Amino acid sequence: MIEAAVRLQKPEFLLQAEFSAPGRGVTAIYGPSGCGKTTLLRAIAGLEPNTEGRLSVNGESWLTPDTRLAVEKRGVGLIFQHPSLFRQLTVQENLLYGRKRLKKAINPIEINELIHSLDIEALLTRYPDGLSGGETQRVALGRALLAEPKLLLMDEPLSALEQNSRTKLMSLLEKFLQQLDIPVLYVTHSSEEVARLANNLVLLAGGSVTHSGTIGQVLGALDSDLSRSDSAFSVIEGQVSEKQLPGLICVECGAGIELQVPRSDGGYESGARVRLRIRARDVSVCLEQPQRSSILNILPAIITEVGATADNGSRIVKLDIDGRALLSKISEYSVQHLGLREGQAVFAQIKSAALL
Amino acid sequence: MPAADLTALFITLRLAATTTLILLVLGTPLAWWLATTRARGRSVIEAIIALPLVLPPTVLGFYLLLAFSPDGPIGATTAALGLPSMAFSFWGLVLGSVIYSMPFVLQPLQNSFAGLGTGPLEVAATLGAGPLDRFISVVLPLSKMGYLTAAVLGFAHTLGEFGVVLMIGGNIPGQTQVLSIAIYDHVEALEYSRAHWLAAGLLISSFLVLLMIYGANRRVHLMRSA
Repeated sequence: MIEAAVRLQKPEFLLQAEFSAPGRGVTAIYGPSGCGKTTLLRAIAGLEPNTEGRLSVNGESWLTPDTRLAVEKRGVGLIFQHPSLFRQLTVQENLLYGRKRLKKAINPIEINELIHSLDIEALLTRYPDGLSGGETQRVALGRALLAEPKLLLMDEPLSALEQNSRTKLMSLLEKFLQQLDIPVLYVTHSSEEVARLANNLVLLAGGSVTHSGTIGQVLGALDSDLSRSDSAFSVIEGQVSEKQLPGLICVECGAGIELQVPRSDGGYESGARVRLRIRARDVSVCLEQPQRSSILNILPAIITEVGATADNGSRIVKLDIDGRALLSKISEYSVQHLGLREGQAVFAQIKSAALL
Repeated sequence: MPAADLTALFITLRLAATTTLILLVLGTPLAWWLATTRARGRSVIEAIIALPLVLPPTVLGFYLLLAFSPDGPIGATTAALGLPSMAFSFWGLVLGSVIYSMPFVLQPLQNSFAGLGTGPLEVAATLGAGPLDRFISVVLPLSKMGYLTAAVLGFAHTLGEFGVVLMIGGNIPGQTQVLSIAIYDHVEALEYSRAHWLAAGLLISSFLVLLMIYGANRRVHLMRSA
């Protein structure tokens, strides 16, 4: 369990963040640029000496009003946005830098396993200056984990990469981070990274936490800046089914719910667990079931909540599809015209869903 | 080469080496402080250290001589401790040279430290390295060029010292007579061929030393851009 209530006055803004997150799994810290995400991460790492308040990680107290544990005693793994390998050391020496400082024997088998799972065996004798962005971040991740941190902090680790290595590293992180037995705090402003990697979500705006909880709880909160913005989205989990339609992948989401998504270039085996990110603006609401539509994903739903009108005249409507929450963004006019209200049975039309 | 000139050469090298060593040791924490502090006093300290760059060496030598005199602060201290006077002594020359060559050692170190940025140190801290460990394992290896430049400049600048030495060291052969002053003596005595030996020797060795630094700098740049 991570419990944080920190306060930090910077020349440009005030960080005043309070949240808690589970002691395992990935918690994304999400918000627009300049909202203080990186500063919050640095404060948690202990790199901002003027941080006040309280912070404890899995029962260990790192910051109280009277005490402050030094960075090097906290045991945090920190992955920066920009390359941070020591350029005077080879990849192997970089990997062992933190490990050597642990008062503990080095177990070569365990190290080799990690090197293998990060696919960096071929780089060991090279120097950081010649590595690609994706390789650099994988080595940095390995170096951080070999030091056996109690908390892994990642500050937009994919944002400095070009599209191709970004996609590759994201697939690796997706599997890798879930297997760790330490908590991960992952700062990002990409909804795709949130949808793919996170179990929990902390929303940050203007230096303060507005919402925190499981990804479902937070995405479903209609009063958040995220829900009111154009990038509001929902995440639905499912399993790739054996059924094949031309150009489509069929995902079973349980309780007989089935969604068709375009077959992307990456092949998915049937039975694979996947997450679907569905943007609220791609979901519309009909009172009657549309017939003969090009939109394939039409599901019966119940309106559970109708949000307030946003500045741009749109409203967010929260739908329940057999226990799964789905957000729909429609115009204020449509809400009135159709007379939408809580508890009403409708049909949700999903124009597109991205397989993650 | 006559024995007197050899002695002068030996004293000069010993003075330059001692001065450089002292400056590297003292300069490391001071340059680190200057490179990282945001304290207000910083510009005052920087200005004081840079003074020898703009002052005539005789000014520095004059004040040092006053300080070394029995009534001066340094002279009174050495007398109270039962030590010999620093005026006209080798250690007096070392003190003068340390002050005189300080900017040449400090500035390359300070630039080198400032150029590192906070990133590598923060990474090292998260990986469990304490402050001293961070300095040794991260700052020193990344500042190699800075140390080389500082050492060479400090050494070479001390070799070429004249005014300060003349003011506080006098010109005692075998004790405080350094090369630059020996050359001056030879010229005064119209012994041009002996002056040539020493002058040309200094010229060539200084050129070689500078060539070495610039060559090493270039290699580092080439390596980084490769």
